[in-house]
Amino acid sequence: MRTTIRVVRTAVILICMVWSVLGAAQESHVGKLAGNAKRGKALYVRYCIFCHGPSGDGRGESAPYLDPKPRDFTKALFKCRSTPSGTLPLDRDLYDTITRGIHASGMPSWKPLLRRERVDLVAYIKTFSSAFQEEKPGTPVPIPPEPPDSAESIKRGADLFQSMNCWSCHGKDGRGHGPSAAALTDSQGNPITPFDFTSGKRFKCGESNQDMFRDLLTGLDGTPMPSFAAAMSADQKWDVVHYIRTLSSSGKHMELKHLIGGQ
Amino acid sequence: MGVLSLKRMGMRLLAVCTLFACVQTAYGIPAFARKYGLPCSACHEAWPMLNNFGQTFKDNGYQLGNGHDAPIYQEPSYWPVMFRTNVLWHRENNNRQAVDVVPGNSGSGQVESSVTTSGFDLGGVDMITAGTLYNNVSFFVQPFISNNSINVSQAWARLDNLAGSRWLNLKMGKFELDEPISQERSLTLNNTGGLYYSYFFTPPGDNNFFQGIGIAQLGVEVQGHSENDDTRYSVAVVSDSNGSPGLPSNQAYDVYANFNQSFEAPWFGRQQVGVYGYFGESPTYFLTSGGRPIPGTGTGNRSFYRFGAYGHWYVNKFDFYTFYLHGSDNVFLGNAVASNQPSGLPIGAVAPIWNGGFVEAHYNPTPRWIVLSRYELNRMSRQANPAIRSDAGNLDSWTVGYRWYPIMSPRAGFAWMQEYSRITNTGAAPLSGKDDVRNSYLMGFDFDF
Amino acid sequence: MKKNLYLPIITVAILALSFSGKVTAGPGSPADSSSSLKGEVKFEGTAPKLSRIDMSADPLCAKAHPTPVTTEEVVVGANSGLSNVVVYVSDGLAPNTYQPSQQPAVFEQKGCQYKPHVLAMQTNQKLDVVNSDETTHNIHPNPSNNREWNMTQPHGVPLEQTFAREEIAIPVKCNVHPWMRGYIAVFKHPYFAVTDKDGGFDLKGLPPGTYTITAWQEKLGTQTQKVTIGAGEAKTLDFVFKE
Repeated sequence: MRTTIRVVRTAVILICMVWSVLGAAQESHVGKLAGNAKRGKALYVRYCIFCHGPSGDGRGESAPYLDPKPRDFTKALFKCRSTPSGTLPLDRDLYDTITRGIHASGMPSWKPLLRRERVDLVAYIKTFSSAFQEEKPGTPVPIPPEPPDSAESIKRGADLFQSMNCWSCHGKDGRGHGPSAAALTDSQGNPITPFDFTSGKRFKCGESNQDMFRDLLTGLDGTPMPSFAAAMSADQKWDVVHYIRTLSSSGKHMELKHLIGGQ
Repeated sequence: MGVLSLKRMGMRLLAVCTLFACVQTAYGIPAFARKYGLPCSACHEAWPMLNNFGQTFKDNGYQLGNGHDAPIYQEPSYWPVMFRTNVLWHRENNNRQAVDVVPGNSGSGQVESSVTTSGFDLGGVDMITAGTLYNNVSFFVQPFISNNSINVSQAWARLDNLAGSRWLNLKMGKFELDEPISQERSLTLNNTGGLYYSYFFTPPGDNNFFQGIGIAQLGVEVQGHSENDDTRYSVAVVSDSNGSPGLPSNQAYDVYANFNQSFEAPWFGRQQVGVYGYFGESPTYFLTSGGRPIPGTGTGNRSFYRFGAYGHWYVNKFDFYTFYLHGSDNVFLGNAVASNQPSGLPIGAVAPIWNGGFVEAHYNPTPRWIVLSRYELNRMSRQANPAIRSDAGNLDSWTVGYRWYPIMSPRAGFAWMQEYSRITNTGAAPLSGKDDVRNSYLMGFDFDF
Repeated sequence: MKKNLYLPIITVAILALSFSGKVTAGPGSPADSSSSLKGEVKFEGTAPKLSRIDMSADPLCAKAHPTPVTTEEVVVGANSGLSNVVVYVSDGLAPNTYQPSQQPAVFEQKGCQYKPHVLAMQTNQKLDVVNSDETTHNIHPNPSNNREWNMTQPHGVPLEQTFAREEIAIPVKCNVHPWMRGYIAVFKHPYFAVTDKDGGFDLKGLPPGTYTITAWQEKLGTQTQKVTIGAGEAKTLDFVFKE
């Protein structure tokens, strides 16, 4: 009788361990909200499947007609993260991308969806790649407070824009036509153009200075944009942010402001 | 008498429509799906019914706000036009139609008889062109082609996000009011169930030029919304012309306002509540020349109003609308009497008052299916003329139906539908004064591209 | 009733044992040091003409090369030796877990090219990326079986990474300097070598056994051969790639 209980107990523990590993990938957590992949699948079929495809590989029916191409979730490689290059994003990062959309692409802001629905979608998206079961997300990079903007900071930023070779892709004027720009491809082999800093205040992964700092720190995985985590100190990165801001045109177009965080 | 008996004309029109298929218009817009690569289900719960993402897209001026909205980003061959029509078989029945005793002999007297017609039929063709003319300038032009005419159902231009704010959008033209529940996007098309009667209800004996908030109106609208469309408002000032071009009515202006607020209920989903009101003045008579009314010279204006509250409730895959309307027309309008001839009012004439509303429930398990049912009623609480029976004009209507979307594509929409509905008009039988009951059964394909 | 419990317990025990595997101390053991597998990889035919690289986009790169530099897809040396070929054991090894070498593998950016052009290393072995150039590079491997990362590296700043899974081979590029191309081959086991400029390789310390040996060249593809090595035997194995 005691042996039976022991065997059953071990079996239950083993089953729970296996279940928790499998189950963990079916769930997501953003703030107080918990998402569920089963509900997320119904939402994915309604909203996402035509671009991102039924297998999440970015080969939806509309994909051949889109540029840039929809993300291939099976590679678990995401542009907009708060984690170091080469590591998985947090659930929050995926949630923010869904909420904010990606500027100048076919990915709209899905803010009109309920918060719970967006968290459910994150849970389902994670099921497309086994990486989410095998690895944990990276440790989020800290973003220190921004020092005040100043002419000296901008000048230092301009020098760094030169010495860090940003101009080779983004061009000396920041328009995205640097000498290396024509040869650039993303990780799927599709041609990709460097961001045109003169196009306005919105960048791919947000529009605040903090967003830009974070982009420099994490890099945009899956694209030629590298992480400068090893290359520049925090202050140097802020200088580059201040310099790049001077390249953005100021409100030439009436654009919708999209804010992340909160709802 | 020199007064345009508009009410009688309206009734005749309704009668004509009932017997010959004047099926209601409705739309989902594949042109938008083609532009952005999104499927119909992204914006439509089940087209033509919008979901919150689609409503936000519409409120944003048909822009996703992803930097690729202006027409310059589209392929030059992209054409923001879509066509929509339906092909159907339907059966109509009216249980108490006045017919001649001897067909062909108008002197043979009349009797009430149950009249049925059925067969294959064609809905009208909607041509909808809509989208952006430029960043933050949107438009909508909708000609409607029926068997022998082309009307312009809507035509407007809108300045979106004025001063960079989504709270300020200015629309001008002929447009559907920002209704609680959109009549244009109703899921039903049949003759007795294709309308929200509360939107069009006119009490018996009333000749108000205004035909209801369900009709597209000519005017300007200021509209605004929060980023995810949780809070929305709309204020419209329209000419009191019932949406008819050519200045046919008077020089008065009506005001319509709508406000709604959504919130997310844990476990259930989005819930929305709102209030609305329409306040206007209609002419009670026209200046005439040679006894014929001169269009646009409506005068003797008297006021009327409609207002109420509504909600849209979600319980996961179920959702339902609740709608309430309270209406009243001035005593002159209610009795079809010119205000310069008060002696024409019947004894004890008062302003008619009525209440109406409906509950419509949907079950939408996947984007490919929606099952719906609706119950609607309108009740006169006070007749304009106390001599007529107190329940004259009351109606009860219920509808059931479903739509099935076998294919889902960003290029086109295709649906199979079946609907049945029944309306009881209290005391409206032409001869006996009993209840007049009509029912419609409809099935067919509804498609757009 | 007790008899019925033996079967599940034994099953669990067998499963546990099969997953644990054995861990060896490192590449080879003293007893097998006399076995060796050497050889040469040769190229037959006319050596392809390699294109010249124009480094004028970055003056700091152009400065490093007073004479023109070519690409390195097929480098044929004197005596037709084919360099930058990865030769490795693809089959025949016992399913052991091998500890990675404690020495870091070094991948250097020098003269705006990768040195070595092809690097072979073990899973979880430390990769030291070095930027010996004055200009700033970004090092961007594009793996299909490992996590992709992309890091900017100015002159002299150290950078360490590892690869967790076997992959032959990961292309590496620098987005700033589009002509830069290199490969990193990652192995679970230590029995691999990259041919030198004469096409020579030496798989040291291979234990006796029957193996499939594969030679991989970035443009010319792969070739395999089977070989059996006895204890203390020194075998030679040659590969020939045709154009």
